[in-house]
Amino acid sequence: MFLNHFEYFAPQAAKDALDLCDRLGAKAKILAGGTDLLNLMKDKLLKPEYLIDINNVDEFKGIFYEPGKGAVIGAATKISEIERSEIIREKYFALHQAAGELGSVQVRNMATIGGNICNASPAAETPTPLVALGAKVVISSLSGDREMPLEEFILGNGETALAEGEILTKFLLPEPISGSVSRYGYIGLRDAMEIDAVNLAVNLALGEDGRIIKQLKLVMGSVFPRPLVSEEAPEILIGKEFSAELAEEAARAASSESKPISDIRASAEYRREIVAVLSRRLLQEAFSAAQGEV
Amino acid sequence: MKQLIALDINDQIYEVPVDPWDLLSDVIRKKVRLTGTKKGCEQGDCGACTVLINGQAVLSCLTLAIACQGKKITTIEGLAEQDGRLHPIQQSFVDYGAVQCGFCTSGMILSSKALLDSNPKPGREEIKRALSGNLCRCTGYKKIIEAVEVASETMSKEGVK
Ligand SMILES: Cc1cc2nc3c(=O)[nH]c(=O)nc-3n(C[C@H](O)[C@H](O)[C@H](O)COP(=O)(O)OP(=O)(O)OC[C@H]3O[C@@H](n4cnc5c(N)ncnc54)[C@H](O)[C@@H]3O)c2cc1C
Ligand code: FES
Ligand code: FES
Repeated sequence: MFLNHFEYFAPQAAKDALDLCDRLGAKAKILAGGTDLLNLMKDKLLKPEYLIDINNVDEFKGIFYEPGKGAVIGAATKISEIERSEIIREKYFALHQAAGELGSVQVRNMATIGGNICNASPAAETPTPLVALGAKVVISSLSGDREMPLEEFILGNGETALAEGEILTKFLLPEPISGSVSRYGYIGLRDAMEIDAVNLAVNLALGEDGRIIKQLKLVMGSVFPRPLVSEEAPEILIGKEFSAELAEEAARAASSESKPISDIRASAEYRREIVAVLSRRLLQEAFSAAQGEV
Repeated sequence: MKQLIALDINDQIYEVPVDPWDLLSDVIRKKVRLTGTKKGCEQGDCGACTVLINGQAVLSCLTLAIACQGKKITTIEGLAEQDGRLHPIQQSFVDYGAVQCGFCTSGMILSSKALLDSNPKPGREEIKRALSGNLCRCTGYKKIIEAVEVASETMSKEGVK
């Protein structure tokens, strides 16, 4: 399998990367881990004239945490670094779980979190937990930075809010509120190296008493062209005392909000059922873990 | 538009002319002529093309050769001693019947090496997880997992890296 001919750039400084992006516009593609991009090029679905490799730009990499403020994750940070990060495990558990489920060891060593988001596959691993955790993205260009919630950045299958000349440079994760816990789960056809049929993340916070639900975000993946935030589950649960019956009701509501398609991995009907199963399971898990926190 | 680049493979420097679109797997096999690295699916799924870059297992079929300048690349040819004595992982693959047709073996052994370097005493589940990106169509995996367990013991006993 061959790649089309292109010119290759490997800038070291953010400024140079942005400069190249600005100058080369739509004829160029950003190369991060290459695990999506090079496959698309091998299949002749993309034929960029230029590749801008951002792996040598230190400013685009790394995980930084400041107590009370939250975490900043560089877009070119490898999935394996996120999987191994102690602070991500401690504060943003759903993201830690999702990172550990992406592809294989080799894929995780190559793939970046920015690539996972910019590729914008509805079945991708990290958008669901990132949305549940309230992540924002920072988009940079020569004219400066702009910020937006991740929900608004992913527009549909393969579509994002990135304009010509822009690079996704950072993810901003807010400090989790006290008493909160996040969980991620997925169902596929086999355990390893599988594209998810459905994935789901919940971010749940309990009040001081350890019973009343103070905050909840439930996000579904692979059942809509972009991550789908449940509106009904929080309405059912917030302000109430947690119970298995209420969790069941919220899970059913999320299931009816989902709009899956049938494809080779699963039928729409199966996916809807799995949304309910995962919702119930993760709500229960998050609740039990949150009780341990308060 | 060929460019002369220096690749550090198994602690030896190879100067090779490459085009930007040349994949590391092709350069290693056709230009450097180390054919132990295999190409199966060429899309990231099978792990036959696994090499170590700076000690980490990666897929050479999805890596541009031009991006590898200044990095340490290890292929299966880099594991045995100069005198031909096999690395303990290679030896246990042979001893425990973990090699049948051999097509997956280079990748399996390099993934195992990356695992044992970071986690010298992995449990069975950890081994399975570390090898989940390497497909084998012959052995049924059981003997491969056993071979890695044995290699882990030999390596810690003999203090081999
Ligand atoms: C065998 C295999 C298994 C896989 N399994 C999974 C899985 O289980 N779950 C999953 O979610 N994915 C999976 N993937 C898909 C892929 O690995 C991920 O989507 C990965 O995170 C992509 O990141 P990358 O750095 O490799 O992106 P690249 O391929 O480098 O880039 C992807 C796209 O995003 C653009 N881009 C990248 N970074 C930026 C940036 N900072 N700013 C602007 N644009 C950018 C690129 O131009 C390109 O269009 C798998 C892939 C393979 C080959
Ligand atoms: S040849 Fe690279 S993963 Fe199959
Ligand atoms: S031994 Fe034949 S593929 Fe593994």
